[in-house]
Amino acid sequence: MKSSKLLIVFALIATSAYSDTIEMTVNGLVCGFCAQGIEKTLRKNPATADVLVSLENRLVAVVTREGTDIPDTDLRKALTNAGYDVKAIERTHRSVNELRTVLKEGK
Amino acid sequence: MKNLPGRIAVPMTLMIGAACASAVAKPIAFADGTTVMAEYGAGTMTEVQAFYAPTFRYSLGGGHLSLNSAENDDARDITYLRLNYLPKRWNFEAAQANVFVWGGAGRAHIGETGDDEFTWNAGGQIDYETRRVYASLRTDYYDASAFSHRIDTLQLGIAPYEHDYETLAVWFVIQGREYTGDLFEGTEWAALLRLFKHSAWLEAGATREGKLQAMLMFNF
Repeated sequence: MKSSKLLIVFALIATSAYSDTIEMTVNGLVCGFCAQGIEKTLRKNPATADVLVSLENRLVAVVTREGTDIPDTDLRKALTNAGYDVKAIERTHRSVNELRTVLKEGK
Repeated sequence: MKNLPGRIAVPMTLMIGAACASAVAKPIAFADGTTVMAEYGAGTMTEVQAFYAPTFRYSLGGGHLSLNSAENDDARDITYLRLNYLPKRWNFEAAQANVFVWGGAGRAHIGETGDDEFTWNAGGQIDYETRRVYASLRTDYYDASAFSHRIDTLQLGIAPYEHDYETLAVWFVIQGREYTGDLFEGTEWAALLRLFKHSAWLEAGATREGKLQAMLMFNF
């Protein structure tokens, strides 16, 4: 029983270690096409593993591949070139699924 | 329109159709985005368009517009190239506003005479959009040796709920359109239902006279 609990803890730690997420607050997100354009732009970056856009929360989240990062300047440039304004950038360890759950619950 | 002579009615239908093609949507979807559109307008016009936007500032493309008069055998076939440009955008916390301008040129084939004519177009649009309300004002000017007209279009839209990227967007849109010059007197009103999700956009509605308008668009 103890060993299985330990395994779960290790698994959670490992998962969070792989889930480096960059969460950006963006102005101008009002339609699905906005989100589509941003997602298309960010997925071109080789460091991008996944992208989540929430119009409700003005949120654009990028999950980076293990051991990689995208500099803030590159992110701001990408979003500006897509036609939007980045207001804040924060790095977290939340996975896209965790983010989806949090956003769905409205937390 | 039924009371107008065919000589006037066909160019007018041409103008209506051309304006319908993009008045309901922004002429630039997103950077590195391709837009393909097909429209059926009240039995008198069929149009296809394709635009590519290298950046969010401009898009280039072309289209083909076929028009058939409801009154007689008059027909127009227009093939054109167009440049759309976004000189100004405002990004707010929960809203966006834009100013677009565009210009283009092409050939108009006159069915009843077999003549081909050079035609050019210039226009602009200002719009404001949140996830619950939408408003746009647009003007289009068309010129050829046989005609020159301006069409002003106002659209007001309301969404019953705030959509998100993963949900279906539903909009109810009221459209008013006025034709200046010697083309038409008065305002044409239409009610439209607009649906979109991800890359697909479907819009359908009717004018006050009960004529169907429908459009299908894809962005990728």
